[in-house]
Amino acid sequence: MNALRPVWVVFAKDVRIELRRRESLASMAFFGALVLVILSLAVGGGRRVAPETGAGILWVAVLFASVLGLGRVFAREKEDGCVSALLVSPLSPGALFAAKALVNFALMAAAEVVLVPLFYVLFGRGLAGNPLPLLPVIVLVNGGFSAAGTLLSAVAAGTRRNEVLLPILLYPLLLPVIVLAVRATGGVLAGGGLAAAAEHLSTLAAFCVIYAAAGALLFPFAVREG
Amino acid sequence: MFLQVESLRKSYGGVEALQGVDLQLEKGELLCLFGPNGAGKSTLLKILATLLAPTSGTVRAAGFDLEEHPEAYRARLGVVSHQSFLYADLTARENLAFYAALYGMDDPDGRADDLLERVDLAHRADAPVSALSRGMQQRLTIARALVNDPDLLLLDEPFTGLDEHAAARLRDQLRLLHDRDRTVVLVTHNLRRGLESATRLGILSRGRLVYLEDRDRVDPAAFEAEYFRLLEVR
Amino acid sequence: MTLVPKPREFPVSAAAAAVLLPVAVGLVFFYAPVERTMGVVQKIFYVHLALALTAFWSFGVSAVAGIGYLVRRDPLWDARSATAVELGVVLTTLVLVTGSLWGRPIWNTWWTWDPRLTTSLILWFIYAACLILRASVDDPTRRATFSAVMAIAGFVDVPIVFLSARLMRSIHPTVIRSDSVGLEPAMIATLVVCLAAVFALWLALFRVRCGLHRQEAALDAVDARLDRAGA
Repeated sequence: MNALRPVWVVFAKDVRIELRRRESLASMAFFGALVLVILSLAVGGGRRVAPETGAGILWVAVLFASVLGLGRVFAREKEDGCVSALLVSPLSPGALFAAKALVNFALMAAAEVVLVPLFYVLFGRGLAGNPLPLLPVIVLVNGGFSAAGTLLSAVAAGTRRNEVLLPILLYPLLLPVIVLAVRATGGVLAGGGLAAAAEHLSTLAAFCVIYAAAGALLFPFAVREG
Repeated sequence: MFLQVESLRKSYGGVEALQGVDLQLEKGELLCLFGPNGAGKSTLLKILATLLAPTSGTVRAAGFDLEEHPEAYRARLGVVSHQSFLYADLTARENLAFYAALYGMDDPDGRADDLLERVDLAHRADAPVSALSRGMQQRLTIARALVNDPDLLLLDEPFTGLDEHAAARLRDQLRLLHDRDRTVVLVTHNLRRGLESATRLGILSRGRLVYLEDRDRVDPAAFEAEYFRLLEVR
Repeated sequence: MTLVPKPREFPVSAAAAAVLLPVAVGLVFFYAPVERTMGVVQKIFYVHLALALTAFWSFGVSAVAGIGYLVRRDPLWDARSATAVELGVVLTTLVLVTGSLWGRPIWNTWWTWDPRLTTSLILWFIYAACLILRASVDDPTRRATFSAVMAIAGFVDVPIVFLSARLMRSIHPTVIRSDSVGLEPAMIATLVVCLAAVFALWLALFRVRCGLHRQEAALDAVDARLDRAGA
C-alpha cells in the first residue's frame, strides 16, 4: 500500500470534522483577531508602528491563536478513545504524526487568511512594500510550529493539565522561531522585499527539518501509554 | 497454535499487574476471562492489543511476534474496549468508511454499508454518532472492530450498558465469528453472558491465570462456585 | 523487591568539590590579576563562565539520559535525566544572575539581549518547562517517557537557538576566540580551577540527587504495593 495513503485518510477525516464543526478555526480566527485589536489599542490606537514592531504584533497574534487549534487536534482523538483505535491499526505512528502536523498546518494557514489581511487593515498605514514575500516566511513558521506543536500536543494531552501545559511547553521551544520570524517579517514590512527575508529562511527551514525529524522519532513514545 | 502467550509480566511503578501469564489458544476458540477488578484483565488485553508493552515475556499470534512485526500483527487484529473509538461528529457510515480506509480496504464505502447491514444500522447510516442511542453506538462499535475482518478479536467488557436485545445481537455476532474460525478473547464480569458464548474459560486473579478449562468440561453451577471461591481466597 | 543501593557516604566528587571550591574562591580573589578596563567586577567572570559551561553540560546529559531511557526503559535513566534537568536549571539561574550582576556596572543595564544571555534565557525556559511537565504527571512510566521526550526536544533546539540569538547585537566580551586566547596565564589558571570546582560540585550533587530520585521511586513502589495489599 502507498505509504502516503493512511496520512491522507487521517488528514481528510480531521478536515471533514473541522468543516462540519468549525470549532477550531472559528476560535483561532476570533482569538487572533482579538489579540490584534488589543495590541492595536495597546500601541495607542491607529498610530503608525515601526515595521519590526508590526512584525512582532502579527506573530504574537498568529502564534497565540494557533495554540488553541493545536490543543484541540489531539484532544479530539482522546475523547472516545479514538487514539487507541488508531494505535491498534496498522497505521504507523510516524504517519499519524505527519497527518496531525498537516492538519495543524492547514488550520494555521486558514487562520492566517483572516489574520494577515486584518493586520494590514489595523496596522498597514506605516508599512511599505509588497506583502507577497511574506509567504515563504509564513509557510516555514507554520511548518516549524506544526512539527514541534504536534509532538508536544501529544505530550500535553497525556497529562491532566492539557490546556495549560501545551503553551508552557511549546513557546520556549519556539522562541528562536519568533526571533527569526520577526526579523524576516520586519524586513519585508520595511519594504526590503524577498531579499530582506531570504537570509533568515534557511534557519527557519532548519528548524522545520529538525522538528519534523525529532517529531517522527519521538512521537511514538509520546502517544503510547507506556 | 494460533495465539501463544508466554510468561508475560507487566509492572507499573513497582506493582506487578501481571506476574507471569501463560496461555495458548487454537484458531477458532473463544476464551472468556473472568476476574475481580485489578486482577490484570485489562492490562493483559492492552498488551495483546499492542497498546502496552510487556515488561517481559512474548506474545505470538498467527505466526507474528507482537514485538517484531507489530504492523502485520495489528492488521489482523480487532479491538472493542469500554470506549467507543467512534468520532461523535461523523456519521455511522463515515466512521466505518474511515476505519476501512485506514486498514487499506479498496472500497471503504462499500465495506461500511456491508457492516451497517450486518449490525442492523443501515437505516441510521447518515446519522451522526452523537445522535445514536447507547445500544446503537455499541453495535456500531462492534461493526468498527470487524472492519478488517480480524483473525483475533479482543473485547473488554462488551456487555456493559447493553440491553437484552443488544446483548443477544452481540452473542449472535460472536457465534458467527466462531463459525468462521475466528479467535476471540473476551473479558467480562458477566458470568452468564460469558458462559454462553465461550469455548474456554479462564479466571485471572492478582496477575495470575489461576484457572483455565474447556467450556465443555465445565458445569456452569460448579464454575460459578469455583469463581466465587477463588474471589474469596484472594 | 527493588532495592535501591545506598549512595556512598562521602563520594569522591563531593570531597573534590569541598577542596576545589575554597581554592577556586581563593584564586579568584587573591591570585587572578585585576582586569584593566573592567576592574574588580570582572572577577565574577570566572564563576559565570564555569557555571555556564557546567549548565550546558547538564542539559546535554539530560538529553542523552533521555535517549537512554527511551531505549532501555530503565527508571535509572529517568532519574539521571531528571537530575540533570534540575541541576541545569539551577545553574542557568545562577548564570543569569551572575551575568546580570556583571552587566550592570559594565554595560549599565541589568539585562541586555546579548546572544549568549539570550541563549541561556531560552534554555532556562525550555528546561524549567520540563520541570513543570514532570510535576504534572503522576504515573511514573508516563512521567519518565514525557520528560525524556521533552529533554531531547529541548536539546535539539540548541543549534537554532544559537543561530537566532546571533541576530542580537553582541556587546558580550568574547573571551575565547578561535585565533588566540585573550587572557593572561594567571587568569586561565583561575578559570580552569573554577571550572573543575563547579564541575566537581555538579558531579557530587548529581550523585546525591539521583540517589534521592531512586529512593523516592522505591518508596512510591512500596506505597503502591501496600495500597494493593490493603484493598
